[in-house]
Amino acid sequence: MDERERQVTTAVADLAAVIERVGADLSLAEEPSGFTLALEAGSPTESQ
Amino acid sequence: VTDDWTIASLAEAIAGGRISPLEITRECLDRTARLGPRLRAFITVDEERALATARTLTDELASGRRRGPLHGVPLAYKDLCRIAGLPTSCGTATANYFVTDIECTAVVRLRAAGAVTLGSLNMSELAVGPFGDNAHHGDVENPRSPGHCAGGSSSGSAAAVAAGLALGTLGTDTGGSIRLPAACCGVVGLKPTYGRVSRAGVMPLSWSLDHVGPLARTVGDVALLLEAIAGHDPHDATSSRRPPPRLAGIDDGARGMRVGVPENFFFEGLAPAVEGAVRGTVGMLERLGATVKWMRVPDPAPLVGAAQIISSCEGATIHGRLLRERPDELQPVVRTRLDVGLHVSAVDYLQAMRVRSRAARVFIREVFREVDLLVAPVIPEPALLWVEAKAGSPGEVARRMGRFSRLTRPLNALGLPALSLPCGTSPDHRPLAVQIVGRPFDEASVLRLARACERETAWTSARPSPA
Repeated sequence: MDERERQVTTAVADLAAVIERVGADLSLAEEPSGFTLALEAGSPTESQ
Repeated sequence: VTDDWTIASLAEAIAGGRISPLEITRECLDRTARLGPRLRAFITVDEERALATARTLTDELASGRRRGPLHGVPLAYKDLCRIAGLPTSCGTATANYFVTDIECTAVVRLRAAGAVTLGSLNMSELAVGPFGDNAHHGDVENPRSPGHCAGGSSSGSAAAVAAGLALGTLGTDTGGSIRLPAACCGVVGLKPTYGRVSRAGVMPLSWSLDHVGPLARTVGDVALLLEAIAGHDPHDATSSRRPPPRLAGIDDGARGMRVGVPENFFFEGLAPAVEGAVRGTVGMLERLGATVKWMRVPDPAPLVGAAQIISSCEGATIHGRLLRERPDELQPVVRTRLDVGLHVSAVDYLQAMRVRSRAARVFIREVFREVDLLVAPVIPEPALLWVEAKAGSPGEVARRMGRFSRLTRPLNALGLPALSLPCGTSPDHRPLAVQIVGRPFDEASVLRLARACERETAWTSARPSPA
């Protein structure tokens, strides 16, 4: 394994650890498309 | 002919017959010919067609026709915007890397408003990288601070404005790529809300994080460009159906605006010059009548990891063929960053998307129930010397890139409008900048606060450099 491959392997492992940690308590109801809803709900028209 | 035009003053002068589209286009092209070899801001200068368009626009004006608010204003676009008749390299070694039948919607709209297209602008390879280096087209020189990086990935877009080669430009921002070069080169750059400006006809790096936006010398000019390019586009599935923003109130001043300043994350590990300039801006906003509140914001750090997973997976998907078939063409750091995406699991990708959804909902709810806007630094340090930016192994460069863009990347994951505004210079004259962040689709308030700062200072009135 060369230096570049080692970097890739390390980065992938680091990212997997991060997402496992920060996503551990996600609600079952949380969907990827919730992002767009969050933007729409937070816009001035709806919130002010 | 002066080189001190803004888009607003130039458009007015053209409409009033004090300068013609042909004269100003020639001036920009002459300047580009003179400074181009040193700055490397352009990849393709479309001189012949720019002059032909400018002649047509000059004739139209003589016969009483004005196409729109940008009639005769010379602009240029990052070389990942598909422009009819021009190659689109996306900063790669392949001249025609990005091929699509759809012309860039933002370019089409600017042309309809009367703009002259000067050509396509240099950028980081595949829009990956915050410094603006490019092994194929040359590293973009910082016009305001020679020897230092121009910032990336929209390096040519910022340098062209700072040097007066174009009155305004388009860039894209997946992790800070409009705001970082704007900050490094001392110009104004706006990443609009996700969905506000169509991405159609623009090479994607990450469908979920890419934003198209304007760069110009002043806040008013950025507002003019945003008005021209914003609005729903049926060619982009993520394009919002909201009407374009109403920007008539951007001169209303800062009085009464509630401005938050994050105590956590954004002020950690700053260079003293950066921290001093941002705190100085905050103090000025208080004097201008804004209500300033230092506050803890929901931790953006998890978003940085989530965004990295999203961008690497989507980037590897989009550019997988190049990565598999001609990997040696790619700069080592670019190759490594895309390669990571080939090895992240689908579960981790979807988890990252879910983390982003929750974080956006919580951040928007918690922050904007207390304030209207956030003010924070753009970059933890001023533009680096090229020799510093590129020193060390690819791994060291990648870590340096991560630090350089750590304050901009969370805003891409959140999709919020964020503007980079010059706010002074370091003791050695490198530009410094502040980031103004608003509610979703509230570019009007972002521009209003930025305009209030601009009117109080000379930060955005610097003439193009080098002269």
